Amino acid sequence: MPEVEWVEVRGKDVAVAVAAAVEELGLDGPDAADVEVLQQPERGFLGMGGQDAIVRVKAKQPTSRRRRRGGRGRGNGRASDSGRADRDAKSSGARKSQSSSSGGDKKPRNDQPRQSQRRNTEAARPKREKEPKVEVEIDRGEQAEMVKDFLVGLLDAFGLEGEVECKVEEDIILANITGEQTEALVGPKGAILQAIMELSRTIVQRKSQAGARIRLDIGGYTERRREALRIYTGRLVEKVTEEGGEVMLEPMNAADRKVVHDAAADLGGVRTFSEGEEPRRSVVIAALEDE
Amino acid sequence: MKGEIVNRVVEYISKEIVENADEVEVTIVEEGPDEVVAEVRAAKSDMGRVIGRRGRVAKAIRVVAQAAADEEGLQAEVEFID
Repeated sequence: MPEVEWVEVRGKDVAVAVAAAVEELGLDGPDAADVEVLQQPERGFLGMGGQDAIVRVKAKQPTSRRRRRGGRGRGNGRASDSGRADRDAKSSGARKSQSSSSGGDKKPRNDQPRQSQRRNTEAARPKREKEPKVEVEIDRGEQAEMVKDFLVGLLDAFGLEGEVECKVEEDIILANITGEQTEALVGPKGAILQAIMELSRTIVQRKSQAGARIRLDIGGYTERRREALRIYTGRLVEKVTEEGGEVMLEPMNAADRKVVHDAAADLGGVRTFSEGEEPRRSVVIAALEDE
Repeated sequence: MKGEIVNRVVEYISKEIVENADEVEVTIVEEGPDEVVAEVRAAKSDMGRVIGRRGRVAKAIRVVAQAAADEEGLQAEVEFID
């Protein structure tokens, strides 16, 4: 399955859009991203007019030295989270949404490669600090060892029996915890797993002075969930293709949203984007033409 | 001791995150029959690391601390003390 290579994100300023894109791609920070500003934001008058920033972001290649351009300007703080009503969709998991996405998507481009997604974010994220970083050769194997050591120590602190394996694939550190007792570390909707992954990332960042993409699985949970999400996405893509319109999924974290984006891109025939603010950000699967 | 696993887990994670591991101190305070608070103290220069950008690290620590508390049938909160 092809990975999403880059995403397009709309935000009230460049920094906001980049931050959202970085999260969506699962990158460690803006420094790990290659950013192309497609549209500079313009300030409107009394909340009227003006335009959002649009950026195209992809994971920085290890050799790339391009730096992102700074964001500037504060767009009009338009209300976001259009058509999100409530979570009545929970039983079905999805909600048919007839309202088009929040005003921001007024200029759809259909000439995009199919792996692109347009995002719409209005989140008031603080600007990231722009500190120039010296590029150093990052030893992923060493980082993987750091993750492993951290997880082994964590199991020990919990007093749980389990095995930890870490390997590097395509520049991503894949950590795997197995053992019957360790499934307690998954948590509802994988919340504990997510937290452990976040902490692993933080610790690697501090110890190696470099970011890393880390994926963690515990007892096969992540893989099972991904597979279920792919199947579910496939059904929704089929439905949207047949019936048109768009379907909004329930809010998910960035990693799960990426699975949906990837699965939909793989199937083709629809476009996907995300709406809403973290932590209640949702993927929308929409028919290609008529919106 | 009540909250022992919470204590171990929170202390372990905090020490991994900070620069000055020796200055990390975690104290368990019993708030009720089934509730403990883990008070985390660290070097001033490390507080930002433990809390993280927009409180992300602190939030993750809280989630994992509650997982530790579940092992003992407790509720746990984590307070970061300046």
